[in-house]
Amino acid sequence: MTVENSGNNHNGKFRSWLSGLLLDWDRTQMLICFFLVVLLAIAPFFISSTYYLGIIILATIYAFIGISWNIVAGFTGQLLIAHIIFLAVGAYTTIVLFNNFMISPWVGILIGGVIAALCGAIVAFITLRYGLKVDYFALFTIALMVALRTLFLKWDYVGGAVGMWFRLTNPSFDKMIFENKAPYLYIAIGLVVIGLIIQYRIYRSKMGKYFLAIREDDDAASALGVNTSQYKMIAVVIGAAMAGIGGGFYVMYVTFIEPPQVFNLGLNVEIVMAGPIIGGLGSLAGPVVGALLNKPFAEIMRGALTEGRSGSSLIVYGSFLILTIMFMPRGVTGVLHTIYRKIISQYQRKAQGDS
Amino acid sequence: MSPEIFFQIIVNGLFTGGIYSLVAVGLTLIYGVMIIVNFAHGEFLMLGIYIAFLAWTLLGMDPYIVIPLAFVMVFGLGALIQRGLVQRVLDAHPLNQIILLVGVSTLLIGLVQFFFSAEPKAIHVPYETAVISAFGLRFAIARLVAFFASMLISLLLYLFLHYTRTGKAVRAVSQSRDAARLMGINVNFIYYLTFGIGAAVTAVAGVLLAPNHSMIPTMGQAYAVTAFVIVVLGTMGNFIGAFIGGLIIGVVEAIAGFYLGGDVKIIASMMIFILILLFRPAGLFGRNRS
Amino acid sequence: MALLEVNRISKRFGGLVAVNDLNLKLDKGNILGLIGPNGAGKTTAFNMISGFYKPDEGEVLFDGQRINGLRPDQICRLGIARTFQVVKPFPQLSVRDNVMVGAYNRTNKRSEARQKALEIIEFLGMQDLSETTAGSLSVAYRKRLEVAKALATNPKIILLDEAMAGLRPTETDEMIELVRQVSKQGIALLLVEHVMRVIMSLAEQIVVIHHGEKIAEGEPKQIVRDKAVIDAYLGEVEIDVKG
Repeated sequence: MTVENSGNNHNGKFRSWLSGLLLDWDRTQMLICFFLVVLLAIAPFFISSTYYLGIIILATIYAFIGISWNIVAGFTGQLLIAHIIFLAVGAYTTIVLFNNFMISPWVGILIGGVIAALCGAIVAFITLRYGLKVDYFALFTIALMVALRTLFLKWDYVGGAVGMWFRLTNPSFDKMIFENKAPYLYIAIGLVVIGLIIQYRIYRSKMGKYFLAIREDDDAASALGVNTSQYKMIAVVIGAAMAGIGGGFYVMYVTFIEPPQVFNLGLNVEIVMAGPIIGGLGSLAGPVVGALLNKPFAEIMRGALTEGRSGSSLIVYGSFLILTIMFMPRGVTGVLHTIYRKIISQYQRKAQGDS
Repeated sequence: MSPEIFFQIIVNGLFTGGIYSLVAVGLTLIYGVMIIVNFAHGEFLMLGIYIAFLAWTLLGMDPYIVIPLAFVMVFGLGALIQRGLVQRVLDAHPLNQIILLVGVSTLLIGLVQFFFSAEPKAIHVPYETAVISAFGLRFAIARLVAFFASMLISLLLYLFLHYTRTGKAVRAVSQSRDAARLMGINVNFIYYLTFGIGAAVTAVAGVLLAPNHSMIPTMGQAYAVTAFVIVVLGTMGNFIGAFIGGLIIGVVEAIAGFYLGGDVKIIASMMIFILILLFRPAGLFGRNRS
Repeated sequence: MALLEVNRISKRFGGLVAVNDLNLKLDKGNILGLIGPNGAGKTTAFNMISGFYKPDEGEVLFDGQRINGLRPDQICRLGIARTFQVVKPFPQLSVRDNVMVGAYNRTNKRSEARQKALEIIEFLGMQDLSETTAGSLSVAYRKRLEVAKALATNPKIILLDEAMAGLRPTETDEMIELVRQVSKQGIALLLVEHVMRVIMSLAEQIVVIHHGEKIAEGEPKQIVRDKAVIDAYLGEVEIDVKG
């Protein structure tokens, strides 16, 4: 690329920094996410309706959960379908710790993440120890979800079938209870930013490459020195921990939890799967792009076109999933990548033509 | 526990098991032929029961009359889903297949919920509480009929697979897709047929449930999970295994329900599932087909 | 003591004996060829050495250490790398990322792994392809990539499973030369091949397997004249030993 030498050194440095950014698809994806995060951050200044703000908050939470699933299903290719069990565990932990022990949610959420991580370790251990392949692993996680739902329905300490209402007191920061919706949004944005950073660092690291290798070809990875079982478990534990933390915050926001609500494949599709798949499973920007497209669109369909009839969001998510797999298997990010490559190669050709 | 109660439990378990068998047989058939786990399977059962509901609400039809109609409708839907969607991902990464079917499942639930709402519904037939007493036991008429009907349909399906030309073609494809092709069998057609049949018999199971069962759009999922357990127990792809497995699980659940309470009985199936996966993943009937 | 010692290994699958009482020795820097008809047990032997199968009997010693029973990744870390008969690239990753996975075997740092990967890619003449997705490579380059990945793990031994199968004559010549270069770096090689020209020109010693058992062992010149080998495998064919 041509660098302008006449005078402005800063200009040259900036241009080479920018090209270093944009010539790397990973970094470009992060740039896209950065812009989306900025849009989210300034949204409260333009949107005053609590209804729309609420949708945005949920979409942001979904983005964070989506990142956690992306690390497991997208990076290592493990078919952990019922990922929502980790969200549920984190949620229940947080709400129980707060209601029964007055432990601040800021701490409770972290503990929820730890408990969820433990559950992840157990699930991964069972799966790997007994060599549960592809389909069986998916079935196992679904069966686990159903079993947990039944268990929690009977477990009175966590509210049983009635569920648990968050013990609402006066708004206070340390109880994570806010009058306004905006603080919830900023916490959610904070989670997404942290999630994106973790995701990116993993992706660029040795561990990330090993994750991808496992997804592409388990045996080949083994033959190159990758302890596939260990790395698969690490991925599940990381994903579970993040989902647990996300779940803890989710329950603080919706203030209510009951087993049929969270141990639910429909919610699993909505929160965990739809975002990353439509955004692009395995990509860096996929979970965020997907969640921010999905949730608002589904809500619009639900509200505007069908007057809020139940089932419409399921119709939307189901259709999106089908259409994505059939026509856009690499998701929106995949499409963006193709466009990106065309632009870059045109740009490089033009640059070569100039010089 | 007195002998009467014991036998009553067994009988009730078998009645439930009959339905399970039908659902499981459909699922295992699809797996055996296409090596794909139908994650939308439960929704076909749900469609069956809602078709019965629709027929009853609009036309006052008795569910048993609806059976052929439901069979044909869901057969068509299943074949369509296979031809339009599943066919494209048969050779793709399993994750894509699963996601596609989860999408189909979500869409079907969403559609039913949209048109019927998520409120539980039920049909009412004159014989819904009728009971026969014999041998010191009580048999609910509707469940008795459902049991025999499901046995009959399973039998018909078995005969179809073993004694008709098309049925043998289906079995040929399940053993070797390439060999079947070389013998002139239109494998794609067999795929549509199989998916259609698998879906249709499951829908019939749903219809058979209608007289005594309330319905919500998500009801298929619990049955699907149980069907997965049965299919794995009976070895994936194995017709007899799925049939017997259904009856076994029905009885096990009934016994578990007696001791642990009705709504927890699904735990029994889960335990069995986990035990199978850990200790005998190939199921009761031997080696898994690859 | 040889670098790799395979002592009396056997493997059964149900009623079928795939490998029976096999002995192999490989010294540092050597090239040993393993030939035999299809189904003779060559790949099974490879799988046992590289940890994908456990021998039912016998042992595998690497640098004096017993390695049978170890996982494939442990064996790779000790210094034995392998290629696969049906190549196993990481299809959606770039060539460079493919090789980096191997390079990470010896380092945790991205820059080092990247550096090493690019060196190896250049060694194999694939610099122009380093950003290409592995899935879109031609057969010849996929075979090279397979070798590149193994090489990147910094092994003492590489097990090459039919690395030349499916290549055109010119491509085969290029691969033969590449393999020679690898050997010159001091890496011991165990070659399974069907293409006789390759074995004859590369192998210093040859072991012939038939029905899972060793039926002959020796230098290439001797092997082509061995009656048992001719009966079982080669047939009455004129082989140009000079390759």
